[in-house]
Formats: sequence, structure tokens, C-alpha cells
Amino acid sequence: MTSAHRVKITYCAECGYEPQTLDLAKTLMIEFGTRLSSIELIPWEGGTFEVSVDGQLIHSMKREGGFGDSAVIKDAVRSRLTG
Amino acid sequence: MTIDRARFDKGLTYDAYKAQMTRNRERFDENEKRVDLSKEDVAAFRALPRPVKVVVLAEDWCGDVIANLPVLGRLAKESGKLDVRIFLRDQNDDIMQRYLNKGQFKSIPVLVFFDEDFRELGHWIERPASVTEIRAKRRKDIFAAHPEFGSPDAPVDALPEEVRVRLQGELAKMRDDTTKFANAEVVRELREIATRVAA
Repeated sequence: MTSAHRVKITYCAECGYEPQTLDLAKTLMIEFGTRLSSIELIPWEGGTFEVSVDGQLIHSMKREGGFGDSAVIKDAVRSRLTG
Repeated sequence: MTIDRARFDKGLTYDAYKAQMTRNRERFDENEKRVDLSKEDVAAFRALPRPVKVVVLAEDWCGDVIANLPVLGRLAKESGKLDVRIFLRDQNDDIMQRYLNKGQFKSIPVLVFFDEDFRELGHWIERPASVTEIRAKRRKDIFAAHPEFGSPDAPVDALPEEVRVRLQGELAKMRDDTTKFANAEVVRELREIATRVAA
């Protein structure tokens, strides 16, 4: 049975993080296609850049620093899809 | 890297900066209108013995620029004593590297005050510490008053959309409620630097 996998990217809309957000969303769209049920972009504030899959936080600028390596984020998403 | 007259003249005037903005112009103009300068503050800037040059690093996507640069703009306009030139942060990294926040962060706006001979009087970065402090406290109070918002440190994407929208509304209201205090603090700190100019 196919299960729904949701990715959410929360980004600081006051910090100019839109390019990094769109780059990551595009990377995930191309890599996973219909294996993801949705990719939600959430405009936020306070220097936020967080990525979660099915409610599990896989990258946080506050926790890991930076926007994250897209290869590492892809691997984390893949492991959720196959796990 | 030093700022001299030639480099200063390459910066954008306040009006030219506004004209090239591609986003947040409406918010910027609204903030400019909302700045409420006291007669005493304006008089203090008008009484500067010599004009002061102000180099600014800014970008139009930054919330602190949108909030605080209009305060400088109004002070310049109403005092006639501040000569402002604005440089885009991402095109002027040599200036940025000299004024990194805590030696490592490219926080903006950066305002650097010079006398007419380009001797630095002082610089100002991002926002007053008192504003950061009061907003952090108010933010904590909001979460304490609304258990449905969860922990202030938890990812907001876990909140139901309707709750998240309400939280965003509460945070926006809090920023609005503290704007008058924030603007007064910016004026107080800028005045302290500008009045270092010698007669």
C-alpha cells in the first residue's frame, strides 16, 4: 500500500530565504516526484529554516546551522520513504 | 578597506535606494510615516555643529532594514544634518566584512557615522538590544497565555494551520504594539552616536 509522505519547509520570509527554499523544493520535486504527497512552504520569521518529513524535523538552521546540504536532506527524505 | 569621499559618493541616496526597491516598499513607506520624532530629538540633530555622513548597508528583503532605515530617513529629512548613502550589502562585501555583528554575522542594517573628514564616530547594527529583549519577553508571554501554540522552541510546522495563523497574528500584533518603543530606542541610540561629532 502506498502511504502519503508530506514535506514541510518553514522559512524566514523576512530574511530573504526564498531562493534557498525554492531550490530545495525543486530538488525534492525532481528527486521524488509523486512519491511525495505534498511539499508545503510555510513563510515564517525569526531566522527560521526548517525541513520536516511526516512531522519529523530533519533539518533546522537553529539546530544544525545553515540551509543544510541538499544531498543530506535528500537522504533523510529517502530514508523516511523507504523506512 | 576605508570609506573615503569617492567611495561614499558611490552610494545611493535615501530616495534613490527607495526607488530601486523591488519588495516591501509599501511597508517601508508606512513605517516612515509612523515614525514619531519628538521636537527635542529633531532639535538635537539640527544642533549638530557639523553635518554627519552616514554609510548604510541594507537590502530590501530584510525586516530590520524595513523597520529601522525609515527612522534614519526621517531624522535626515527633518534635521538636514545627516548626509546618507546606502550600499547594498550583497554587492559591497568589503564594507560588510568590516562591520560584522559580533564579528561573524552579516546583520543589517549597518549604519556607520563619519564626520566630514571621514573619521568614524561610531556604528550601529540591526536593532537596539533593548528591542530584542522586550520582544523576546513579549513572545514568551504570548506562548504562556496560549498553550495551544505549544513550545516557543518547537517547529511551527507541527501546529495546525489555523493555530499557526493565529500565532502569526499574535506575533504581528506584538511587533506593532512595540514599534513606538522600538523607534524611540533607535532614535536615542543614533542620537548618542551622531552627537559625538566635534564642533
